[in-house]
Amino acid sequence: MIELIDVTKIYEVNKKESVRALSHINLKIKEGELVILKGSSGSGKSTILSLIAALSKPTSGEVLVDTKKISKLPDNFSSEYRRDNIGFVFQKYNLIPNLSVKENILLPLVPLNLDAQSMHQMSESVMQRFHIEHKQDVLVRNLSGGEQQRAAIARANINNPKIILADEPTANLDEKLSLHFIEMLRELKASNKTIVIATHDPLFFGLDFVDREIQVHNGSLVL
Amino acid sequence: MKNKTWLQSVLNIYLIEYALSAILRQKYKNFFILSIFTFLTFLLASVFFITNSIKYELESTLEALPQIIVQKIKAGRQDDMDVSAVDEILSIAGVSDAVARVWGYYYFQNAGVNFTLVGVDEYENQYKNSLEKIVQKFDFNNEENIPSMIVGQGVKENMSRNYYKQYFNFIKSEGTLKKVNIAGVFDADTQLESNDMIVMSKDEVREIFDIQQTKATDIVVKVVNPEEINTIASKIRLMYPECRVITNQDLQVSYQNIFDYKSGIFLALFIVCLFTFFMIVYDKASGLSSEEKREIGILKAIGWRVDDVLKEKFYESFILSFFAYVLGIGFAFAFVYIFQAPLLRNVFIGYSELKTSFELPFVFDTQTLFLVFFLSVPIYVAATILPSWKVATLEADEVIR
Amino acid sequence: MILTPEVLTLCILNILFAFFAIIAFVLSVKIFLQWDLNATTQKQYLLEKQSFLAATIIKYIFAIKVPLFLFFIFTLDKISHVLTGAMCAAGVVDATQYGTYLLILKVINLYIFAYWLMLHRADMQDENQPYTKRKFGLFIAAFFLFIAEVVLEGIMFSAIDVDKMVSCCGSLYSSSATSYVSNIFRIDTEVLLFVFYGNFVLIGLFYLLKNKYLFALSNLSFIVSGVITLIAFFGMYIYQLPTHHCPFCFLQNDYYYVGYLIYFLLFIGTFSGIGAGLLPASNTSRNIGYKISLLFNGLYVLLLSLYPLFFYIKNGVWL
Repeated sequence: MIELIDVTKIYEVNKKESVRALSHINLKIKEGELVILKGSSGSGKSTILSLIAALSKPTSGEVLVDTKKISKLPDNFSSEYRRDNIGFVFQKYNLIPNLSVKENILLPLVPLNLDAQSMHQMSESVMQRFHIEHKQDVLVRNLSGGEQQRAAIARANINNPKIILADEPTANLDEKLSLHFIEMLRELKASNKTIVIATHDPLFFGLDFVDREIQVHNGSLVL
Repeated sequence: MKNKTWLQSVLNIYLIEYALSAILRQKYKNFFILSIFTFLTFLLASVFFITNSIKYELESTLEALPQIIVQKIKAGRQDDMDVSAVDEILSIAGVSDAVARVWGYYYFQNAGVNFTLVGVDEYENQYKNSLEKIVQKFDFNNEENIPSMIVGQGVKENMSRNYYKQYFNFIKSEGTLKKVNIAGVFDADTQLESNDMIVMSKDEVREIFDIQQTKATDIVVKVVNPEEINTIASKIRLMYPECRVITNQDLQVSYQNIFDYKSGIFLALFIVCLFTFFMIVYDKASGLSSEEKREIGILKAIGWRVDDVLKEKFYESFILSFFAYVLGIGFAFAFVYIFQAPLLRNVFIGYSELKTSFELPFVFDTQTLFLVFFLSVPIYVAATILPSWKVATLEADEVIR
Repeated sequence: MILTPEVLTLCILNILFAFFAIIAFVLSVKIFLQWDLNATTQKQYLLEKQSFLAATIIKYIFAIKVPLFLFFIFTLDKISHVLTGAMCAAGVVDATQYGTYLLILKVINLYIFAYWLMLHRADMQDENQPYTKRKFGLFIAAFFLFIAEVVLEGIMFSAIDVDKMVSCCGSLYSSSATSYVSNIFRIDTEVLLFVFYGNFVLIGLFYLLKNKYLFALSNLSFIVSGVITLIAFFGMYIYQLPTHHCPFCFLQNDYYYVGYLIYFLLFIGTFSGIGAGLLPASNTSRNIGYKISLLFNGLYVLLLSLYPLFFYIKNGVWL
């Protein structure tokens, strides 16, 4: 399903300085698998996520998803790939604070120019599924952390993606809400999504429905 | 889902909606840009509206002018013309009428104004419709021994201010007085004529200005087919090489050039403003807050293409500039046609001095709308190209962290 | 030198276009020389980003150029009131030695820019972006033509002499004129009409044969035969005058601006025909190109043919 072959990623800070975020990584994730990437911040786990999401391109090596070379796609196609296959849950939720919940959830569909009815149906179904429909017309900046998290997950699922990526999803949540998030994760796993989570939150370690935990350290996988 | 209408495939309503909300989310910045831009388009549109109106007024005045005027030139100055030339000009094919005019300016010292004295002959064709009306309406010979005249409104006022209520004493060129009764006051088509004109019989005018019976001030020529004016004018030039032959087209072209030149100079100044504005927009649009950058980053991360972001940014700038354009045009309409363009009208003072008072007539010219459009919207959109591109190609994963 | 607000506006926009075109040109040269989609270097990523800027600028210029072209014709019409002797744009075009070349160059540039957009579209729809080098290479050539247009336009407007008498279209487009235009009036009407309709039949034939090169070629020749027949034959019926042939006058209000429709049909028809032939596109999009070309060329032929037909029905004679 997802395959990273000998991937190296170097960020060029400026002309003289550069940061080696990943070096020669090899990773295979099967369909329906739930993988946790552990490691301290700056270890390179977020870079792995953005490479899988085709948000950035590797300096060398290849990223394959469904045998398709993601790392070589021109921008327009990588966006389409992202839109069709990836649901991304960010650390800071990355919702637009001055838009309502429903508007935020519909954002991925805006460029598709669908008809109003199917847009409505799709947003209703994800809002119900992640229990946020009672807040749909509230501006995001007026939501609590947990509600923002649910809205973010709802948005990540509106296109019914095969792959869910989450970057430090519980960093801003208290324990109760974090546990709630883990329950949602269990539900997503049950619907046979491929899930990759980058976190250093110990709540995720040793969960029964997690298939693999991988330690990332200094840009390399610790196996 | 796949059955999109043609309009849907061209225009993405949701993207426009998003662009609108993005404009509203940056209220202060966009309001600032909108006000400046509206003001600039307003200024530009006002100038064009004013020149259009003046041009229209001028053209309708010029149209009332004779098609060809023949003047005799002697020692570089205009001199009296032989009346016999009328018959010779009439013999040219295509000339429908030629009239010897007797007229001149009379300086009224007490009031310090010039009157235009125009001589008419009842049995002759008049070269202007307004004169034809006057001749039909009034009878100049109703009182046996004292000649009479018809005066314009302005003349009447000037005379009564100097206690000439019933008659007026003209000073002839040899110094004696000539008394002429005021038989009536007329209204003419345009204000230019009515204000300073006096109409009386040709004989009286000849007497006041000391013009011989066989002479006239100039000759006006009417032509059947307007296309032939130039050909006939050149024929007259050949017949009378000592004369100056002026066509109404000559006048029209030279006036058009003057006005194009004036608004051209204004436009040149306007360009300076426009480029300053271009820099302001460029600066405003490229100085993005980290929040705006993050927003674009989010959009890209959830699957917007670079083209989608560029399109959204284009909608934003187009909506904003088009709105400013419509507002500017609307304000200019009100300013010029309802309030008669105070202040700005003085830029074109050269013409308003020529005419005692005038109103800007309403002229609707679609080409002006296009002109203002091309000078506003594309330039604004151009100013946003580079900043939009910079935002659209930001590395998404670096901005949203 | 003629300094009307319209001319100044055209100049301002031309300067703006030239400024942006230079940016696009520099980027195009870089992309043309260094593009390598397989590379994972920082340089290639930068080029990919810059290709968006270049494409946006070109799209922008084209989007404004099309309405501006109409505005240009409009402006020429307006200037014709100032020039002694001119009745429509034809007189202004003829007023200087550059007018005709400028007009031809403008039309050629419209075709090239439109073709560039089609190529760009096809390029962006393919994951491998196979035409990137070709489209930016094309723009490098188009840039010089475009700059030539801008310069020529500036020269033309500054060369117009308001005091000089110019010819009106009635004398320019008549069989007695001595210019090269008058040569077309020497051709027999029968021959002309045969070529015109024959050319259209060929387009239809090549459509059935699905031969893209012949189809493009027949469309290219249709531009020429279409315009010549319009001037020499159909123009008379539009004006209902046996002596008037001007290809500009019917752009004016008196003829309900029908000229814009006529030229629009011809442009879309021939452009999509040529585009369908030259473009390395999929069969479906080529088929659409064929169909649009046939439809618009057909409408062009129909519209023009209706003029003499109605004239004959009304008056019972041919001109």
